[in-house]
Amino acid sequence: MANFVLRSAEPKDVADILRLIKELAKFEEMEEKVVLTEKDLLEDGFGDHPFYHCLVAEVPKDQCTEGFSVIGFAMYYFTYDPWIGKLLYLEDFYVMQEFRGLGIGSQILKVLSEIAVKTRCSSMHFIVAENNKQSIEFYKRRGAADLSSEEGWRLFEIQKQDLVKMTAK
Amino acid sequence: MEYKLRKAEPKDVSDILRLVKELAKYEEMESQVTLTEKDLLEDGFGETPFYHCIIAETPGEDSSEDPSVVGFAMYYFTYDPWVGKQLYLEEFYVMDKCRGLGIGSGILRHLSDLAMKTRCTGMMFVVAENNEPSVQFYKRRGAEDLSQEEGWRLFRFDKDSLVKMATPAEE
Repeated sequence: MANFVLRSAEPKDVADILRLIKELAKFEEMEEKVVLTEKDLLEDGFGDHPFYHCLVAEVPKDQCTEGFSVIGFAMYYFTYDPWIGKLLYLEDFYVMQEFRGLGIGSQILKVLSEIAVKTRCSSMHFIVAENNKQSIEFYKRRGAADLSSEEGWRLFEIQKQDLVKMTAK
Repeated sequence: MEYKLRKAEPKDVSDILRLVKELAKYEEMESQVTLTEKDLLEDGFGETPFYHCIIAETPGEDSSEDPSVVGFAMYYFTYDPWVGKQLYLEEFYVMDKCRGLGIGSGILRHLSDLAMKTRCTGMMFVVAENNEPSVQFYKRRGAEDLSQEEGWRLFRFDKDSLVKMATPAEE
């Protein structure tokens, strides 16, 4: 059983957060899409108005073969449902391969649930790729409902170039 | 029709709630709106706003009458770990009697401008798959259906599941 600690991210963690974001993106074969920098993460997460929050999972340095101590993270923020109010939105959630199956993911989810309940959120939302069976099962085992299935919601995006087009009209 | 767009103020919470309920009624879900004016006030106009609103209003019949709030958009900022800040459009509604007059387009243009000013890389929102008019309205303006193109599905843990997960398991 891994000896690990979960804590709120601090400014010093931005390099590790970016490394883990890139690792997860690489797993999805999308690494070159990560344009965010450590400077962005610092300004956006640790300025006057944080746009995201992070929990990091840390192990003693000698336990990780690659020499890192931060081996997992969850990035989240608060959203708002006009029917019920505040929600916790889980944006990114990743534990390094070497440290899977040791209860770190479950513990992260537990701490997030505590945060959600403490901050009076009505629920936690997140998206999962439809072909990621393992993750879907992980979440369904803990009571998650697939709203895309049950309520037919589809996620849309208008990218920058089209936003700019609209501002010009 | 003449209309004006502006940032919501604390005095607008009763109109915001009215329009939220009207839209929910249209979706046959009015009973699911448990939010109160007090919640909207605390959550939107306190130290840390959890949402922002743009209001559309039309002038009163004559100079003595108050303007009427006829539409709104509720949004907040989210964070994409690959590209950073995004504007998330949560709710968007114009009263039936005021449709087709450019108010919706005006709101979207205003939001696009806001997204650019706040250095967001995109705007995101969900649409019900059977809401053809809305799907077309957005696609005409360049929106992509990420659920279709990238296979994303939206999941939720409701309060009961959260409480269960937060409580330590019995040993």
